[in-house]
Amino acid sequence: MLGRAQASRPSLSLPAPLHRIPLRAGNVVEIAGPSPSAKTQLLIQTAVSCILPKERNGVHYGGLGHSVLFVDLDCRFDVSRLVEMLRHRIVQVNGCSCTADDEEILKLSMRRFSYIRCYDSCELLAALKTLHHRLEKEKESNGIGGHLLMIDSIGAFHWVDRASTSLPLGGKNRKYLSLQNVLEVVVEDLRKLMSAHPMLVIVTKATIVGTTGNDFRRNYKRWPSAGTFDASSELEGLREPYFREYMPPIWQSFVTHRILVRGSDDHIAMPKSQENNTAYVSEWLLPRLNFLDKFVVRNAGVFLVS
Amino acid sequence: MASLKRLETEFPILDPDFQSFCALRGIFTVQDFLIRDLQSLVADAEQQPSSERFMQAINQVLYVIDGLHQPWLNGVDLMEDAQKNKHVLSTGCEGMDFLLRGGLRRGQVTELAGPSSSGKTQFCLLTASTVAYKHMGGVIYIDTGNSFSAKRIARFLNQISCPASEEMQPRVLQEVMNSILCHSVYDIFSMFDVLHCLESKLKYQVMCRGDNDERLIIIDSISSLITPILGSSGSQGRALMVSAMSLLKKLAHEYNLAVLVTNHTVGGDGGIPKPALGESWKTLPHVRLLLSRDCGSNTYQVSLLKHPSIASGKAAKFIIND
Repeated sequence: MLGRAQASRPSLSLPAPLHRIPLRAGNVVEIAGPSPSAKTQLLIQTAVSCILPKERNGVHYGGLGHSVLFVDLDCRFDVSRLVEMLRHRIVQVNGCSCTADDEEILKLSMRRFSYIRCYDSCELLAALKTLHHRLEKEKESNGIGGHLLMIDSIGAFHWVDRASTSLPLGGKNRKYLSLQNVLEVVVEDLRKLMSAHPMLVIVTKATIVGTTGNDFRRNYKRWPSAGTFDASSELEGLREPYFREYMPPIWQSFVTHRILVRGSDDHIAMPKSQENNTAYVSEWLLPRLNFLDKFVVRNAGVFLVS
Repeated sequence: MASLKRLETEFPILDPDFQSFCALRGIFTVQDFLIRDLQSLVADAEQQPSSERFMQAINQVLYVIDGLHQPWLNGVDLMEDAQKNKHVLSTGCEGMDFLLRGGLRRGQVTELAGPSSSGKTQFCLLTASTVAYKHMGGVIYIDTGNSFSAKRIARFLNQISCPASEEMQPRVLQEVMNSILCHSVYDIFSMFDVLHCLESKLKYQVMCRGDNDERLIIIDSISSLITPILGSSGSQGRALMVSAMSLLKKLAHEYNLAVLVTNHTVGGDGGIPKPALGESWKTLPHVRLLLSRDCGSNTYQVSLLKHPSIASGKAAKFIIND
C-alpha cells in the first residue's frame, strides 16, 4: 500500500536547498528568513524547474512540466529575473544553437506560469475562494496536471490585519477581518484546494518582527524545533538574532516543512568573475537536519557551494 | 464592501429569502462571505427547501467575489507588459545609472537611505530634472521638509540641456518646470490624500487617453512621515507604513511610474549606520540604496543593499556639481 501511495503522489525533484527532503503534493513548505536572504530567488529557481518541460523535440530539459501559481502579496516580483533564469537554463541545455527554438520553449514554459498580485487581505481571500473554479475549468481543458502554489510573503499583511479595528459589528455570528480570522480562512481554503487539486505549496515568510536590545534576552526563544536539540558545533555558530514567530498557531500547524535562510558573513570569491558574491545559509528546521547548506545567487540562478 | 441587500437590485436572485438565510449565519455583506467557510454554507443550503435557488445565489456571489481581486496574469502577458511598459528612467547621474543598469525602473519603488546631508535631496532634485527634461514625463514631488528648490532645478536643467553654459530658452525652461508638481505634506494622512487624488487623476487620464503623462513620484523624505507614528510595540504605525507602500506599489505597477523615496539612517551594530524604519520596512521597497558623502566634497558613494535582479553589495561613485 505504501508503494501505491508513493506512486500516486510522486516526490518532486526540486533545486537546492529544497532537494534534501523529498517533497510531494500535499506538503506545505515555509521558507523563512530576514530580509534580504534570497527567499524570492529560491522561489523563482523552483518555478523555473517546474515550468520547464521534461523533454521536447528530443531534447531533455529536466523540468517537471507543472504549472505554477504565484500569489504575490509583497508585490515585488520581477518577471525579468524569472525570464533571465529560464533563458540561462534553456541555453545551457541547448548549447549556443538555434534561438527560434529557445524562444518557443521559453514561451511554452512561461505559459505555465500564472501570477496574481494582492494588495490586501480581502483580495487574497477573494483570489483563494475563486481559485477552485479556475482550476476546475483548467482541468477540463488541459487535463490533470500537477500544480505548485507559491505565496510570496505570507506575513505581508500582518501589521495591517493586526491593526484592523475590532469594533463589534452588528448581529451575532458576524466575524470581522482580524489576523486570526483571515489566517483561519486562508488555511481552510488552502486545505480544500490541496484536497481537490494535488499541489505542493511553498510559502515565504519574512521575519518582520526583529530583535531589539532588551527584548532579545528576555523574550526570544529558538525556532520551534521538531526533534531533540542536538547541539552540534555548526549550529552553535547560529548566534545571529533569533526572530520571533509571529504567525498564529493555526498557521504553524498547517506548515509541514520549514527552512530558515539568512545571509552568511562569508563572501565567496568567485574565481571567474571579479566580484564577491554574498553567500546565504539555509537550515532545515522541520524536519530537523543538523547541517547547513551554503548557496550563492548568480545571474544563472541559485547554486550550492561546498 | 457591498451588502447583499444592495446587490439585490443588480442580481435579483439574491432575494430576501436568501438574505435571511445568510443573516441567520451572520452574513450581511460580501466581506462576510469572504471570511466564512464556503463548504459548510453550501452544505447548509442544500438542506433548505429552495436549495437550487440558494445554490444559484451562492454562485452569483462568487461571481461578484471574482471581480474583487486583481486578474490572474499569464507569464507571457507579464513578459509583454515588462517589455512594453516597464522601462528605465535615467537619473542624470552616471554612476547611479551604471549601478542600477540604466536607472530607476518604472513599476518599482526605490529607497535611497543616507545620513543627513549626504546628498539625498540633491539626488532627488537631479532625478526630477532629468526625468522632466529627457523623458518628457510629469514628476510628482512630495516634499516633507521644505527642501524643494526651484532654483536648483533650473540650474540642473541648464546643466543638462546646455553643457556649454549657455542659458536655456525661458519658454522651454518654463514648460519643463511646469511638469514638476511639488506638494508639501507634513504628515502621513496628507500624503495619503495627495496619493489618492493622484490615483483619480491618473485613472481619468488613462480612461480618456489610454496613457498617463506622469513618470515619477518622489517622496523626500518618507521616513519623516513614518517615524513619528512608529511606536515600539503598537501596530497602527506599521500598518500605516505598509498601506502607504502598498498604495505606492499599486500606483507604480498600474500606471507605470517609478517611485523614489528617501530614508534617513540610524546607528547599527558596530556603529555602522543602517537605514531607519526597522525590520518591517526592509521588505517593502523593491530596490534599496545606501548613500554617503565624502567629507566636504561633491563626491558621493552609493551601494546597493537590495535589488530584485542584481547582486547586492555593488557600489558606485558619482559627483554632483554645483
